[in-house]
Amino acid sequence: MKNSAILLSILSACSVVLAAGQEVKVAAPATKGTLKIISSLPRTGSANAQTSTMVNGINLAIAEVGGQVDGWTIAYEDMDDASPQRGNWDPAVEAQNANSAVKDDTCVAYIGTFNSGAAKVAIPILNRAGLVMVSPANTYPGLTKPGFGEANEPDVYRPSGKINYFRVVPTDDLQGVEAANWSKFLGAKKVFILNDRELYGKGITAVYRKQAESIGMEVVGFEEIDSKAANYRSLATKVKATKPDMVYFGGTTQSNAGQVAKDMRSGGYEGMFMVPDGCFEQAFIEAAGAANLNGKTYITFGGLPPEKMTGKGAEFCAAYQSKFGAVPEAYASYGYESARVILLAIAQAKTKDRSGILAAVAATKDFNGVLGKWSFDANGDTSSRVMSGQTVQDGKFVFVKVLGN
Amino acid sequence: MLDFEVFSQQLITGLSNGMIIALIAIGYTMVYGIIELINFAHGDVFMLGAFLALTLLGALGMEAWGPSGQVFGVALMLIGSAVFCGGLNWSLDRLAYRALRKSSKLSLLVSAIGCSFVCMNLGLFWGGAPMKVFANGNSAAAPKNFPAIIPQINLLGDGFLRITPADLLVFTVTIPLMVGLTFMVKRTRLGRAMRAVAQDPTAASLMGIPVDRVIGATFFIGGALGGFASVIYSLYNNTIGFQMGTRAGLDAFTAAVLGGIGSLPGAVLGGLTIGCVRSMSDQYLETRWTNTIVFCILVLILIFRPNGLLGSTRREKV
Amino acid sequence: MRWRPGPIFIILALAALLPLLDVVLPPKMQLCEAVRGVFLYAILALGLNVVTGYAGLLNLGIAAFMAIGAYSFGILTCEIYPFQLGFWPALALTIPIGAFAGFILGAPTLGLRGDYLAIVTLGFGEIVQDVLKNLDVVTKGTQGINPLPAPTFGGSEWTAEDEYKWYYLFFALLVLTVFAVRNLERSRLGRAWFSIREDEIASRSMGIRVERTKLIAFATAAAIAAFAGGLSASVLSSTGEPSNYDFQISILALCIVIVGGIGSIAGVLVGALVMVGLNSIVLVKATAWMAANGIGSQGNVLLSPNNWKFLIFGLALILAVRLKPNGLIPPRIERAKQ
Repeated sequence: MKNSAILLSILSACSVVLAAGQEVKVAAPATKGTLKIISSLPRTGSANAQTSTMVNGINLAIAEVGGQVDGWTIAYEDMDDASPQRGNWDPAVEAQNANSAVKDDTCVAYIGTFNSGAAKVAIPILNRAGLVMVSPANTYPGLTKPGFGEANEPDVYRPSGKINYFRVVPTDDLQGVEAANWSKFLGAKKVFILNDRELYGKGITAVYRKQAESIGMEVVGFEEIDSKAANYRSLATKVKATKPDMVYFGGTTQSNAGQVAKDMRSGGYEGMFMVPDGCFEQAFIEAAGAANLNGKTYITFGGLPPEKMTGKGAEFCAAYQSKFGAVPEAYASYGYESARVILLAIAQAKTKDRSGILAAVAATKDFNGVLGKWSFDANGDTSSRVMSGQTVQDGKFVFVKVLGN
Repeated sequence: MLDFEVFSQQLITGLSNGMIIALIAIGYTMVYGIIELINFAHGDVFMLGAFLALTLLGALGMEAWGPSGQVFGVALMLIGSAVFCGGLNWSLDRLAYRALRKSSKLSLLVSAIGCSFVCMNLGLFWGGAPMKVFANGNSAAAPKNFPAIIPQINLLGDGFLRITPADLLVFTVTIPLMVGLTFMVKRTRLGRAMRAVAQDPTAASLMGIPVDRVIGATFFIGGALGGFASVIYSLYNNTIGFQMGTRAGLDAFTAAVLGGIGSLPGAVLGGLTIGCVRSMSDQYLETRWTNTIVFCILVLILIFRPNGLLGSTRREKV
Repeated sequence: MRWRPGPIFIILALAALLPLLDVVLPPKMQLCEAVRGVFLYAILALGLNVVTGYAGLLNLGIAAFMAIGAYSFGILTCEIYPFQLGFWPALALTIPIGAFAGFILGAPTLGLRGDYLAIVTLGFGEIVQDVLKNLDVVTKGTQGINPLPAPTFGGSEWTAEDEYKWYYLFFALLVLTVFAVRNLERSRLGRAWFSIREDEIASRSMGIRVERTKLIAFATAAAIAAFAGGLSASVLSSTGEPSNYDFQISILALCIVIVGGIGSIAGVLVGALVMVGLNSIVLVKATAWMAANGIGSQGNVLLSPNNWKFLIFGLALILAVRLKPNGLIPPRIERAKQ
């Protein structure tokens, strides 16, 4: 009984102390005030590998404008939507983050989420408050596009009737189609499709499968893997026995793409292997082992790779490289692009009102970004249709071609 | 190719995977047999062993060694990881479990869960090591490639059926270890002491057996087997990551229970069963149902044999 | 005899007053929302406490029943399914559904002893996740089911912003669960559970129908867990995805029960406060504070505060059972022994 009272008071005392110190210290000269951008990404557990590069991108975008836009000081808070007991995104934490963003009067924009499932929790909360949300990573089409998800999507995410959710990444329905077309172009006739049973992987392989069948490829197998398995040797044997010339894996580095690629090789499959942008990062090559990928591995990505970028993109690559000592990866550029869209909107809105900034983000047109020149369409999706195809040579991604045209 | 070839291939894969599971399962079953603790941290000790092996491999530049040098390298990693994991497991017992011997089994279990989280976090830190094999520590949480210093060639030539040196390695290391362990438990003084403590610690201590030291030795041996397993696992799967211990531990613990917890041959049989069931389910059913099938088989076996395949039928201690 | 408030009463009274503290603190603290999570895990852990604490059956798959509750709530209420019930009837239905699921698992396996039963429950947890993922025709797989209704109480439907309403709803349901469990504990059935936990053979010879009594414990625990699942789905307006109800959740619930004091209701409440409080209040606020003040960096794995969360959680567990092996608030029977 005494224990409980003591614990309660300790907990509350901690919280008070923390709250007192939580105001962001501003060193910049006197400004009109502070506007805050909050990101909510999984920072505990394995997803942190990808999200750190996103946060790097966001930080870079803010640093480039000197932490100030139109007289406002820009503060940035990097929230974690994962919890240690889950080691992965946690819906309760995501809701908590979204609510605290809503409560924070200085917060004018929310960058996130990484997982589309988490977006489903956060979007309605932010929507009611009219707070703009820009996702650098959600690709589940139903979040924005009518007719691609459930019948009630995407309206269920818009209780206020207005759109507050935007994304700078192309959705699965675009990438899946391009991936299938490219597979055919590469000469694949028989394809074996795998996915990781996550929202992203499942969605993209469903589209891939449909497109592959409609353009005359034969789908010789479709399997959903357990992304925590130690290896996929048995699966490799099964794949090999059906003699495909292309294996398409819908998944991410985090959901064991490296092991899948590796086991296809060690299991004796020698054909082509294709993965989506969830694997467009050096960590995928590191995890799979460069030797297992060389030459016969293909990666699709919604945008151009660093070395093919011109203008703004090239500047971004140089800046990123000098600041973080590494070539920016897919997720870094998505994170950077999200932050820049918001910063530009703040500059153009000429107001600190959430509704004004939301309107400015929605009005983003012909944005000169690292992913090309694009606008947000009526659903909140990027109009960018630039898809590029990469392969792996000597442990590095090598640009092959622009897809879709 | 023939259906027979597919079946044989799956059997080989299943047995290789099963052997690795069995080696980890022995660590669980030994500790359980002696203090009735499901040692949740075992899987994470195993994971740290794999990280040590990769560190050794990277620090000594084993990739550049010739074939005979690499055989030496594998032996070095096996010994290094075994000693390390054994020592780590012993220390966990000393620091986190020994004080709880007289407490309820469940507080001990929570302490083990705590150790599991701590070890997992140490693995995360280790993954950020500034070494080339850890991708220069750029993304600590990402899975790490474990270089295939065992060549991935097919020893059977160009046919469909593949047996690789890695498959052989699994058997040449695990079988002697298991035989040696069985001998040790059955024939040596320490083995007799372990069995005595398992049956009745109080009586054992009255007979002059240093119970805490015997338990410590059990943790060391169990951990060392986890260490051997970690190197074999790494050389076979070629990927390691800080969260790999959870799944490996779950599989191994299931194997230990399936075979009859506390029984060494049971753990081996359980591991092989799970390995083969997984392979066959992947091949002849759907991969996505494999886990469900493994656990359904576990439940069915336990309903008909409540003490596992080879478990003793003695009553629970009252 | 003069009435003295028991530990349960004090904890609940303090919890009832907590929103006052929230008014004083800066708005972004959101203590109420975080503590709501504590209540949810407390309900789950009270369920686990029935089977593991009272009846002594180690259950490592309690999260599976939470998942069953959440998904039943989702299927019964969501507009894309034919049932479309309201909040209250659906939440009430999660209880018999959970109990039935507990019965299905329990009936064939209760003959197993100790840790064999534990592994079966663990396996059940994995099976439920897989089934929810794979039967995507019904469960929408990893998409989750959304949106889900909130209670209305006459007015318009609650949203996430009505945090005090939610807080007191969770609080009221926690109080309800506490009273239900406390009455069970003091009933004939509760005494039968204790008796089985202490000595199964003696209980049998005293005329207790052991299998039946165990099965009731199993089903009760499952019902409470399913109830917690339905509640959590409602407040999030989504079932999340099947892996939100994985082994880690079962482990957390188990740690709450044991660290708090196995078999003790007050202990479970304090355990939930300490464990969930550490995870989702102290660690979250501490890392946010460090990030805001530029302490630590993302570049180095050791300097990033987020990377220490597992370690701190683990050490807390080890220290808790080391310092208080019988739990923070042991049940009366243990206190009497000391």
